[in-house]
Amino acid sequence: MTTQPQTDTKPEQANTAEQKIQQLRELYADAPELGRVAMENGLPDLTREMAAATETQNAGRKGARQGRVSEFTIIVPFAEGGAKRLRGLLQLLGGNFKGADRVGTVHDMRFVFLDNDTKLLFATAYDDEWDPYIDDFATKIPNALDLLFCNTEGYPGIHSPSIKDWLVKHQTAAEAWYVASPNLTVADTRRLERVGKALEEFLDKIS
Amino acid sequence: MATQPQAATKTETDETADEKIQQLRKLFADAPEVGKRALENVLQRLASDASKAPPPPVESAGRVGSRLGKVSELTIIVPFAPGGAERLRAFLRLFGGNLAGADDVGSVHDMRFVFLDNDTRMLFATAYDGDWDAYIDDFATKIPDFLDIIDSAWDGWPGIRSPEAKDYLAKYQVTAEGWYVANDLTVAETRRLARVGKALEEFLDKIS
Repeated sequence: MTTQPQTDTKPEQANTAEQKIQQLRELYADAPELGRVAMENGLPDLTREMAAATETQNAGRKGARQGRVSEFTIIVPFAEGGAKRLRGLLQLLGGNFKGADRVGTVHDMRFVFLDNDTKLLFATAYDDEWDPYIDDFATKIPNALDLLFCNTEGYPGIHSPSIKDWLVKHQTAAEAWYVASPNLTVADTRRLERVGKALEEFLDKIS
Repeated sequence: MATQPQAATKTETDETADEKIQQLRKLFADAPEVGKRALENVLQRLASDASKAPPPPVESAGRVGSRLGKVSELTIIVPFAPGGAERLRAFLRLFGGNLAGADDVGSVHDMRFVFLDNDTRMLFATAYDGDWDAYIDDFATKIPDFLDIIDSAWDGWPGIRSPEAKDYLAKYQVTAEGWYVANDLTVAETRRLARVGKALEEFLDKIS
């Protein structure tokens, strides 16, 4: 146990990288042919990336997070008549939700009907932590949320004390999560847009 | 048919808004109590929203999927090949769940891999720039091996270089019925703005 000198961390790390490559090869030994070929072709890139990879963080109660941006993915069975109602609602809104602008922490979100309209997939990218995110919705657009999710089975209502447990129960954390600009919140990007515009006007004026 | 004067667009808009509200009430007549109450609470706001300039419509991203402004969505649910879930999970864990390789594609805002139904199906959901065909081509050109390592976990995946790859993807893709994007910027525009913001800060620091 004590045979390895404690200061010798470098060879240990290299060893780990090699072990990882070994693990990758073993993992893909029984993959379809094209997967094995891709693995051999991709190994140099993969090695580089494994060295650089930072761990996906946790969004708090549930879900993956990169930098400032987290993911929330939930699949819920529709209530009776719920799919028809929700589709009708979305169509009347033109598939659009300007109301979400008011929440201010939502990067994107989608509503997808699955398995012959028996289940709803709701997937979103949002800023920071799980709990404040749900609270934001509850405070800023509670009615919109109730309108959308009352169409799913067992939805307790956004003001119910059991709402968070209900959401967690149906949420599935992503196994991998990628964000192109992980350091920018929705508000940061909006500020940058204003900065960019102001700078252009300024440069126009002095030119 | 010709009874409505063509100039009366404002009245027409109002009528459409009224009609929509009527339709909404009908739609939610048999909704749970919480839904009916929520509808009454938002109707006023919906009415005022409807009479204002409408938001840009959600369009098609091309072959499949929805698009709002510059940003599109791709949502796909695929059955795992035998052993595929185990392989992919182990692969993703070796990277700590981080897929920085997608930076090379340059048109991906975000993407997630979610294992469903006791590891029998996989959800892949992404937000990306522009058109469906160009997006798939980007992956095929820029990170084909990375893609095949991941997608070889899928049942029947033909390989990204196969002429059938796009048909395969389109077959399992489900178009979102609702799609929202906060900032109408491409990945490249956002990155440029981040650089501009940083440069400006440095500049202001220097002259202060």
